Amino acid sequence: MPPSIHPVDLVATLRQRNLTPAIIFLTSRRACDEAMQSFERSQVTLPKAQQDQIARVLAQVTEQYPSIAEHPLIDTVQRIGVAAHHAGHLPSWKIAVEELMRTGSLDAVFATTTLAAGVDFPARTVVVTQSSIRKARDFTDLTASEIQQLAGRAGRRGKDLVGFAVITPSPYIDLTVLTKGLTGQPEAIHSQFVISYPMVLNLLKAHPREQIQSILAKSFAQFQLNQRTAVLETKLDGLRAEMEPFGPRVCSDWITQWQVFDQARKRKKPRGLGARQESPDVAARLHFLTPGRVVGLTRGRGIILRQYRSKGQHAPMVTLLRDGGSLNECPASIVTQVFDRTFDCEETSAYPWCTPQTLEQLTHHLLDLPPRLPILPILTHQNEEIPLDSSIIQTLGDFACPTCPSRQACQRDFPRASRVRQDIQRHMKSIQALQTSLWHRFQERIDVLERFGYLNATAQLTADGEWARLIRIDHSLLITELIRAEAFGAIDPPLLAAVMASIAHDDDRPGSFPRGSAGLVTLLFQVRKLAESLAPHEAPPMLRADVAALTERWVADQTLTWIGLARLTTMAEGDMFRLFARTIEFLSQLKTLKATHPSLAESADQAIAGMRRGVLEELP
Amino acid sequence: MTTHELEQLLLQQPVSLLHRLARGRISRHFRSGKRKLIDLLLQASAENRPGLESDLAALIEEQSQRQQARPAATAPKPKVPARPATSPISTRPHRAEEHGHHEPPVSLHEWLSGIGVPQAQPFVPDAWQVDALAKLAETDVVVSVPTGSGKTYVAIEATKRAMQENRTVIYTSPLKALSNTKFTEFSRLFGPEQVGILTGDRREHAQAPLLIMTTEILRNLLYDAAGGEIDVRLDTLGLVIMDESQYLADPERGVVWEETLIFCPSQARLLLLSASIGNPQDIADWLTAIRPNPCALIRHTKRSVPLRAGYLHPNEKLTPLFRTAGIPYGQPHLLHPEAKRLFAEYEEETGPSRSR
Ligand SMILES: Nc1ncnc2c1ncn2[C@@H]1O[C@H](COP(=O)(O)OP(=O)(O)OP(=O)(O)O)[C@@H](O)[C@H]1O
Ligand SMILES: [Mg+2]
Repeated sequence: MPPSIHPVDLVATLRQRNLTPAIIFLTSRRACDEAMQSFERSQVTLPKAQQDQIARVLAQVTEQYPSIAEHPLIDTVQRIGVAAHHAGHLPSWKIAVEELMRTGSLDAVFATTTLAAGVDFPARTVVVTQSSIRKARDFTDLTASEIQQLAGRAGRRGKDLVGFAVITPSPYIDLTVLTKGLTGQPEAIHSQFVISYPMVLNLLKAHPREQIQSILAKSFAQFQLNQRTAVLETKLDGLRAEMEPFGPRVCSDWITQWQVFDQARKRKKPRGLGARQESPDVAARLHFLTPGRVVGLTRGRGIILRQYRSKGQHAPMVTLLRDGGSLNECPASIVTQVFDRTFDCEETSAYPWCTPQTLEQLTHHLLDLPPRLPILPILTHQNEEIPLDSSIIQTLGDFACPTCPSRQACQRDFPRASRVRQDIQRHMKSIQALQTSLWHRFQERIDVLERFGYLNATAQLTADGEWARLIRIDHSLLITELIRAEAFGAIDPPLLAAVMASIAHDDDRPGSFPRGSAGLVTLLFQVRKLAESLAPHEAPPMLRADVAALTERWVADQTLTWIGLARLTTMAEGDMFRLFARTIEFLSQLKTLKATHPSLAESADQAIAGMRRGVLEELP
Repeated sequence: MTTHELEQLLLQQPVSLLHRLARGRISRHFRSGKRKLIDLLLQASAENRPGLESDLAALIEEQSQRQQARPAATAPKPKVPARPATSPISTRPHRAEEHGHHEPPVSLHEWLSGIGVPQAQPFVPDAWQVDALAKLAETDVVVSVPTGSGKTYVAIEATKRAMQENRTVIYTSPLKALSNTKFTEFSRLFGPEQVGILTGDRREHAQAPLLIMTTEILRNLLYDAAGGEIDVRLDTLGLVIMDESQYLADPERGVVWEETLIFCPSQARLLLLSASIGNPQDIADWLTAIRPNPCALIRHTKRSVPLRAGYLHPNEKLTPLFRTAGIPYGQPHLLHPEAKRLFAEYEEETGPSRSR
């Protein structure tokens, strides 16, 4: 048996069962293109009437988007009534395929699962061949929402009485993921709020610092943090109720009182053999090894997920999430440095001691951490417990405890009461953290912007801050720093476009490209150096020299046609289009700096004009 | 509830519910069978039994509500005790499973029957569409309905109304490509001079009453307005439509949706159009908390065209995927025996090469 059905047979089966038109989701662009090629060799030909209809629709769309006429697959599509639709194609071609589908002219379309939501692209049948997709270099199972979005395209309102979602297996498919996705509830969505430099500048432009916290409180992020707070508060209520029977005794804070007395009492006795002491260094650190804390290890770094005592020796232990994504249980002494950085950690009572979402977030955080982190200075006490004044020990007789009427009750209740009290304090700390985390992150950004001189000491915009807030794209800090370093002095439009392309492009698909000019190579070297120096504050962009060179060519040589450009590289047309569209977006932000940086704005304007020709002019 | 009662109650629940309960409590719970899962749940919750019990009650409640909302034809209705505490001990098998396994599986012929084109009918808006528009006359509205249900109709009607009142409408979509499609569609509908489009470096008919843009562009407009530089006439803004609002959860761009919603002028109505998501009520509650008026939620999960699922073997043999013709919501285990057999065969045969 073949590992998966042949595309030609698949379409034939669907036709025979009256299940066309169909969208067939394949794992990659390549798979879509190969499926199309297998049709080129096949003998199938559509009836004349359908061929004519395809030709008619195509002619109509081509009027608006002339580049469609040059698509190499036009003849195949017309002959066999099957097309491919994926991100490697030009938007105009995708529009053509969508229109063919809408008019019911095609029998099948091979598409990747990235087919965007909202694109009006329905069919009678949807064929699914996979249960996972590639996300950030890793395969992840499709979620119920994703599966329902795919299946949701089956059954056109007004054109179909029923729709069909057909699963056909391919290697690595997990049927249960799909059946669960089809029958399950879509997942809840979670806020993805991040605080960016432009956000900080723009908020501080319009509002004084005192108001920011109340604005952040209006975010969906805070709304969801409040939901978590509510859960913790319920738990807190429970704990407080648990605390009630231990209510006021002879002394108001009997727990501390008893603890101090007990410690002092024990210290007078010679140390037992069993009570192994950890070194003062480790003991002092223990207080900081709380879930979510970033720590340094002899090799690499990690995030603490839990602190506990080993069963036998009662040695302090931690569960660590390490650089490679592995989870380790190790003695607390493995920690060599405690960093001044903690992340939210939603704890759970079983391995891996936090929710799967937290684990995933922390894994990402760990990867994204800047190379250098502030170290938390930790004061080392000689004793691991509350430092006792020796005079207290001397005057043990002064404690009221030995003769107190509730002594027995205190002694009996202390272990439980102190555990509950610890839990209460831990919960209160977590609640505090949930309530202030957004504001803390905002403040961190303020600090950086102040250090670079975009904000003054009272968090008001400086002259540089005033224009920098107009740059509202990714890598804004790099771009504004480049401008301040006058890297763009009297820059030529092609060079400017090229640098912006290298900053804007975030795809690492390899390919072959033309070479860049010497000027571009030097400039990119400078940009790279600056980006690296900014790395602790902003993740550096890829800065690919090859895509920069391609962009430089396009702007520098105005006689170059789109087809000519495409011949210079192995980059897919759709990717070229996206690269240029994003570059234009970045350039248009530079254009807004007309008032403060007229020559740069002018150069950006010319670069945009130089880029907008051919297919790039077809869409607004 | 005693441990025994709790165990019995867990036994009566479909596995999918148990898996949902296991989220965050047990790692890699998807690998366990029902029996194992229950044991693990009982173990893991030893410390926090009340938490488990209340979550369980909530899930059962939610499930029974969902089943009531679903029409009888699409799925068998398992009877779930509405209040778990009252009927904990019951040793007879769950009705859903009884039903699923005793009714004969659907035949391929039945499964394939009914394919065709419906008769052309005059356009009658769905109840939820009417409801959404009525609510929108009063307040902000979040719509969360399945793909292909007809959200565009709501957007268009709402736009018409706002335009009649001489108010500006902004329509945002997550992608430039979508903005373009909508620009063409709306220009055809309302007339070209009524519709404008704004992108980073281009503006067409920027003074038109209906403006189409990506969410980033609207966010930037709102930044400028807050900074004192009025650009587009936000004072006459009457309606902001955000299509595909489930992008709120996009890891890179979701924050832009949040910012836009936080800064959206309070005199403008909000219409959020979203595909089905798990927690639309959260969105509505959030907007209620930050906007002047309580936000209404329109949600339903029923697809307008019924869906059937099938399995196609590499040897071209086609069979229904589930025992029922429709999708057995909440019961992924109700596989069609034929599909089960064929897939087992597939795994068997492709097995060695998969582990290579
Ligand atoms: N009340 C109705 N009766 C019949 N057909 C309708 C009705 N409302 C909408 N439709 C049709 O349903 C189809 C899908 O509508 P639309 O594109 O608005 O869906 P949508 O909810 O926006 O889907 P998506 O999630 O893909 O964006 C359209 O062809 C539309 O004409
Ligand atoms: Mg839509």
